[in-house]
Amino acid sequence: MLKPERMTRVVVVGTNDALDQTIENLHKLNLFHIIDYGEEEAGFKIGKPRSMASKFSEYLVTLRSIENQLGSGEGSGFDKKISAKELSPQIESTLSELEEEVLKQHDLMRKIETELKQKQDIEDTIKPLVSLPLSLEDYTGYQSIKVFVGFIDSNIEDAIRAETSQYELYTGSIEGKKIIAVAVVKEKEVEINKILQNDSSYTEIRPPELTGNPQAALGEIAAAKAKLTEELTNAESELIRLKQEYAEFMLASEEYLTIETQKSEAPLRFATTDHAFVVDGWVPLNKYDDFEKTIEGGAGNVYASRLEDEEVKDVPISLDNPKAAKPFELLVETFATPKYKEIDPSLILFITFPLFYGIMLGDIGYGVLLGILSWMIMSKVKSGGLHELAIILSYSALSTIFFGIIFGEVFGFPLFNIMHHGMVEGGILGIAGPNIWVLQLPIHRFAEVKPLLAMTFVIGILHITLGLILGIRNVSVEHGFKHAVTEKLCWLMILFGGIMAIVTAMPAILWGDILNTQDPIFISGIVLGIIGIILLVKGEGAIAIMEIPTLLSNIFSYARILAIGLSSAGIALAVNTICRDVLFAQGGVFIVVGILVLIFGHTINLLLGIIGPGLHSLRLQYVEFFTKFYEGGGTKYDPFGFIRKYTEE
Amino acid sequence: MVEVEAAGLIAIGAGIAVGLTGLGAGIGEQSIGAAAIGAMAEDPKFFGKGLLMTVIPESIVIFGLVVALILLFVF
Repeated sequence: MLKPERMTRVVVVGTNDALDQTIENLHKLNLFHIIDYGEEEAGFKIGKPRSMASKFSEYLVTLRSIENQLGSGEGSGFDKKISAKELSPQIESTLSELEEEVLKQHDLMRKIETELKQKQDIEDTIKPLVSLPLSLEDYTGYQSIKVFVGFIDSNIEDAIRAETSQYELYTGSIEGKKIIAVAVVKEKEVEINKILQNDSSYTEIRPPELTGNPQAALGEIAAAKAKLTEELTNAESELIRLKQEYAEFMLASEEYLTIETQKSEAPLRFATTDHAFVVDGWVPLNKYDDFEKTIEGGAGNVYASRLEDEEVKDVPISLDNPKAAKPFELLVETFATPKYKEIDPSLILFITFPLFYGIMLGDIGYGVLLGILSWMIMSKVKSGGLHELAIILSYSALSTIFFGIIFGEVFGFPLFNIMHHGMVEGGILGIAGPNIWVLQLPIHRFAEVKPLLAMTFVIGILHITLGLILGIRNVSVEHGFKHAVTEKLCWLMILFGGIMAIVTAMPAILWGDILNTQDPIFISGIVLGIIGIILLVKGEGAIAIMEIPTLLSNIFSYARILAIGLSSAGIALAVNTICRDVLFAQGGVFIVVGILVLIFGHTINLLLGIIGPGLHSLRLQYVEFFTKFYEGGGTKYDPFGFIRKYTEE
Repeated sequence: MVEVEAAGLIAIGAGIAVGLTGLGAGIGEQSIGAAAIGAMAEDPKFFGKGLLMTVIPESIVIFGLVVALILLFVF
């Protein structure tokens, strides 16, 4: 909690005959973060992969290329896991069978597609010929006659007649374009060709060597095309069938092969000699005893030992939080993985993120909808980042409902009766807000802007103070307390000195009251601030003075907690007012329009309500809070092993 | 009459404070956002930093909003 899991440096040493079994054990334990052995020192060499390594990766490549062609996705696990022992002898034969089938279908599809393309081309050439009074065999196959066919705009007959009298000309038109066929004696072919080519509007058509009426030929082609298309659909559905039939096999064997490749290539990360191997890495401290027992008891001459006094450098980071706060690790990791000695802020985010979110959105109706949405995502996506985001959203939904009750808002309608410009506006419950402790519910956000604005500044000051205190702790651990004073404590002094001075001077600034410079709070604030600035300059140089105004802007930045809330409540109110006072009042068809506006407006507002508060709540964490203490830059703990989803040993 | 005019001027001032700062933040964010998306295309790990950098100019609007709120509710 608040700190990454304690790790211990471990070296595993053994004789080569125990290597395979040790790899199996390490993999099964899924605990050992291996430090890759890089440089070759005297006597040590990087290990050689197991003999099956290349075969496994070859299968894996084949499998993935098949998956690519079939477009299979990831499943969420089977009801019953497949036994790896049963799977492994099948892989080679089933894989080649599947590959052959897929390739066959693919070749077939490509062939059909080519044929289709050819038929399409012929169809395109025949289509214009329909308008000419000739059969298809009339165009080709003569010894002494040449037939030219083509589109043309101008009248070419005079030019042809000038060249020869032995010709026949047919004309037709299709889709507004003129088409001609000229049959001339072979001797005049070159001349006529020249005349035609010189005409800029002429586009030649080469009739295919077919027989019969063009219209009939078109019909035949259409039938052939339909048949080909059907064959293509069959081949496609065959591929889909293959995908369905082999889906389980593909998922399971991909997992199996990934695991086996991992294991086979593991020796590449070890240091070996002719007879022994050494591997270096990290194990969570509280699991070390189990680790040692399993590794040493599992195979012949293997020993594990801890390196206690090792300098704490490059320790892999495994975040350690209570289950409820786990999803917030995602937000921390998105920013950066913490360093080993740093505070892990996930637990703090667990409280502040939903808190800010709730104050911003603060509406029972939206909160309930968000809760339903997050529950739907959670039940659909069982793992991964989206699942964790959904959990975060569900906390935020609860907080939204809670603040919705405090603000007394349901989809922008008042929950309790409220006084508005001296008039009582009836709430949904029809009762006045209850009085809880000193709090008179509801706190109407539009009516109480001033106190709420002050509240956001207080939240900001507290949040930043917490950040600076964590900063003092982090810097003291890493560089000593003296550094912490000049790096972080001085900021705390400037912050509180500034607050004391500004709060006492506020009446003078705003309303022109006389500033009481004798006020002890004012004086001590100024003194505290000046000491802070001196310490700051001592620690980071005079240029750091430039940074002081950011403290003010950081605190002002928390005004967004109110601002986002006001805008979302404002949109809801606007939608409701349009519907109730304008549209519903008209009656008739306007009631339908009103309902549509209501649904549309609140959907938009809810979407904005998910994105806006989420992003801004996160920004307050990242920009205002994290910058006070958090550096990050650790390596993630990545143990040697695999979490099986589809197979079991 | 004077009262009404003053209230109107305050409202206009508040509007200008939010509107202009909004424009400023938008102009600032556009180039940062474009650069951040470019960086993310290279390496998705930049998401966190990119988002952070992108929303930094938004503080300007918040300042504008604070000024507007003070104008409307304090004066």
